[in-house]
Amino acid sequence: MTAAPTQPASARPPKPPISWKVPAGIAAFLLVTWWAGSGRFGVGLSIPELFAGLERGQRIMEDLFDPRWQAWRGLIGPFIETLRIAILAALLGCAAAFGMAVLTSRISAPGLRSFLAGKAVLNVVRSIPDLLYAMVFVAVFSIGPLAGIVALILFNIGVVGKLTSETIDGIDTGPLEAAQAAGARHSQAVRTSVVPSVLPNFVAYSLYAFELNLRASLVVGFVGAGGIGQVLFVALNGFRYDVVSLIVICIFIVVFLVESVSIALRRRLV
Amino acid sequence: MTAPHVSTSSTPTPPSTAEKAVRPDKPRRYGPMGLALTAAAAGLWAAWTSGIDPAAILRGPEQLVRILGLMLLPPDLGTVPDALAGMIESLQIAWVGTIIGAVISLPLGLLAAKNVGGRFSTTMARQVLNLLRSLPELVLAILFVSMIGLGPLAGALAIGLGSIGTLGKLTAEVVEGIDRGPIEAAEAVGGERFQVLRWGVLPQALPEIMAFWLYRFEINVRASAILGLVGAGGIGGMLSNFLSYRRYAAAGTAILIVIATTIAIDMVSSRIRRRIIAGPRGPKPTADPIPSADAL
Amino acid sequence: MIRFRNVTVEYPGGVRALNDVSLDVPAGELVVVVGLSGAGKSTLVRTINGLVRPTSGTLEVDGRDISSASKAELRAIRSDIGMIFQGFNLVKRTSVLNNVLMGRLHLVPRWRTMLARYPADDVEVAMQALERVEIVAKSYVRASNLSGGQQQRVGIARALAQEPKVILADEPVASLDPPTSHVVMRDLQRINRELGITTVVNLHFLDLARAYGDRIIGLRDGRIVFDGPGSDADEQVFEDIYGRSLTADDVLQAKAEL
Ligand SMILES: Nc1ncnc2c1ncn2[C@@H]1O[C@H](COP(=O)(O)OP(=O)(O)OP(=O)(O)O)[C@@H](O)[C@H]1O
Ligand SMILES: [Mg+2]
Repeated sequence: MTAAPTQPASARPPKPPISWKVPAGIAAFLLVTWWAGSGRFGVGLSIPELFAGLERGQRIMEDLFDPRWQAWRGLIGPFIETLRIAILAALLGCAAAFGMAVLTSRISAPGLRSFLAGKAVLNVVRSIPDLLYAMVFVAVFSIGPLAGIVALILFNIGVVGKLTSETIDGIDTGPLEAAQAAGARHSQAVRTSVVPSVLPNFVAYSLYAFELNLRASLVVGFVGAGGIGQVLFVALNGFRYDVVSLIVICIFIVVFLVESVSIALRRRLV
Repeated sequence: MTAPHVSTSSTPTPPSTAEKAVRPDKPRRYGPMGLALTAAAAGLWAAWTSGIDPAAILRGPEQLVRILGLMLLPPDLGTVPDALAGMIESLQIAWVGTIIGAVISLPLGLLAAKNVGGRFSTTMARQVLNLLRSLPELVLAILFVSMIGLGPLAGALAIGLGSIGTLGKLTAEVVEGIDRGPIEAAEAVGGERFQVLRWGVLPQALPEIMAFWLYRFEINVRASAILGLVGAGGIGGMLSNFLSYRRYAAAGTAILIVIATTIAIDMVSSRIRRRIIAGPRGPKPTADPIPSADAL
Repeated sequence: MIRFRNVTVEYPGGVRALNDVSLDVPAGELVVVVGLSGAGKSTLVRTINGLVRPTSGTLEVDGRDISSASKAELRAIRSDIGMIFQGFNLVKRTSVLNNVLMGRLHLVPRWRTMLARYPADDVEVAMQALERVEIVAKSYVRASNLSGGQQQRVGIARALAQEPKVILADEPVASLDPPTSHVVMRDLQRINRELGITTVVNLHFLDLARAYGDRIIGLRDGRIVFDGPGSDADEQVFEDIYGRSLTADDVLQAKAEL
């Protein structure tokens, strides 16, 4: 707060003036929205177009609402592969993410240089979408689950690394100081005071990452990185919307189950 | 993952004064151990049955370095104008999509909040949000492309629909977390339901909800950068073409543009988010707000 | 045991928290430091274990120079100095025993710390420390489940587990209620007497200072304005230290009666 002239405590303060920034911000927001939504410069948002689309999409809708139930047997194998991908990516990615988090919190970083380097790496890792990783790793490892696993590992490092690092930033530094005052090395102080303080949160974030991975494995499968996504892609390309619908329902159920378990676990953890 | 049973840690019975000096036995804590063992077993099973060729893993780093070399040394400056245009289109998709998501998720989220909606509407709204949350944008994008044709509009709609699920859930959680006080005050002065919402609920919840909108915009920028893969506009189509035709230098340049844009957007947006939460004259918190484990 | 020679500490903002302080604390003594808020009490004890570095002057603990110590030397010196904090500084989400074991870290190899596998000897020392403050029954309880007084006793046990030559306590009872304050102060006094550990305690309350201190040091604006036995420290002396007459806020007894 800026230094105001001292007033007797009972004087009514003047109403703070509304800064010009508020209307300017609103105007800028509207302008950008018009630009991004217009047909000429942007995405061409138009309501009639939408309804025309919905009409054209009628057959798709009909198929979507009439899932091809008998196809479920063929989905078990791909689903198990998806599960494998998600498990390996979550375990390896979250372990690496914990290391990154320790490096990128001011509180636990061993030095300024590793802090800055870690921050930069984490920002770059986080800025790349999961599917883009999958495309690149399909080029590296060729088609198959390995590409999907590595892509999701990097995705997890980004998500869990950031969340955990922010949690470390928020902890009480008293115990860390106590460890240092007892003659502990920095690494020992971090292990004994930072790690127990954030471990429950970290496990919760990891469970969350596992859920995200199950969902994301749909998408990385599109570019040939294995799992149920590959089956979905084939169904979509073949206009088999009844199969698409079945796959989506199955994913909904699987994600719902995993999420229920993981929410119950997270409640107990934190 | 199966549910490892978490034992409710049994606290030792309070010692009588005579027992004060007695060392207790080390209690066994099965919960954490069970979780760790389950995770390890799942990992071993997954690694064992995956059929991944270890040699492929070993070749990976070398291949990665080779491809990164092709991508970055030297970059393909000729693709910069096209890539920039594609990135701008991706940003437009993310912007419009976020607004669509925000506008639709606000009423849905309010309905899904236990302290605002009725019991029936709350349950319904929650199920709708859950369903929407399990649909990836890319799948939605394919559906929209087949309905309204190739182009950025399909992408914006997919992003919009895809954002409703999470935004609605977070909105509901924020609204459930607010103070009862102002709601009761608004009810006490005889406010109608809408007025209670307007004066009792929204002023408290809106800053946080708006911060989530911005956060979602950051996520949507990443999502819109890949939608082009299925013809829904933006830089993604270009990228996937470059990669499948092995034009690695062009792909590398486009990826660099994606990285630079997302980092820039993240920085601006997280600054605005902090201001929204703390208020223009409030203190500046040093870290981003940490979502509670439940809110994730 | 502790030797300050013309020690000055200036913080980055330009605040002179200690101004040309010279002080000797012989082995085995229990010294209480009193002074107003901002007088430099915390700074004084924190320079002793190198958490704050002197701007000028020299400081020796047990014959070893703190002011010029390298990182490794500083760790070695710190391992001989136990510290007790106002806010306890316990890791809330782990067991009491694990907290006390932090006092053994200087002796434990790094890999053992990483795996949390402490040698049996170190666990034994930690258990004995807990026994000394009569809280061993809580060894496997999470620190967050203890009361404030119990937490501070764990803090003392952690310091004891270092088998230190010096114990520093920065307002150890400021977060506790009056009866508990006396329990904790008596623990500190007993440890000082029984084990002969040199002890420096910052206190806010004058009656506590007089009751437990062999020797009282008065700080004002970073300078020592009084140094003598508790019996010499009468009202007049405290008015010198505080720069004003005493109020009810300055004594624990009065506060307890409020
Ligand atoms: N880290 C720091 N950076 C800058 N100035 C500091 C710092 N720590 C303390 N100071 C300043 O140094 C002076 C002495 O502080 P110190 O904490 O030693 O006082 P104290 O006697 O312990 O007070 P209290 O009873 O409030 O704990 C104060 O003016 C304080 O503002
Ligand atoms: Mg102090």
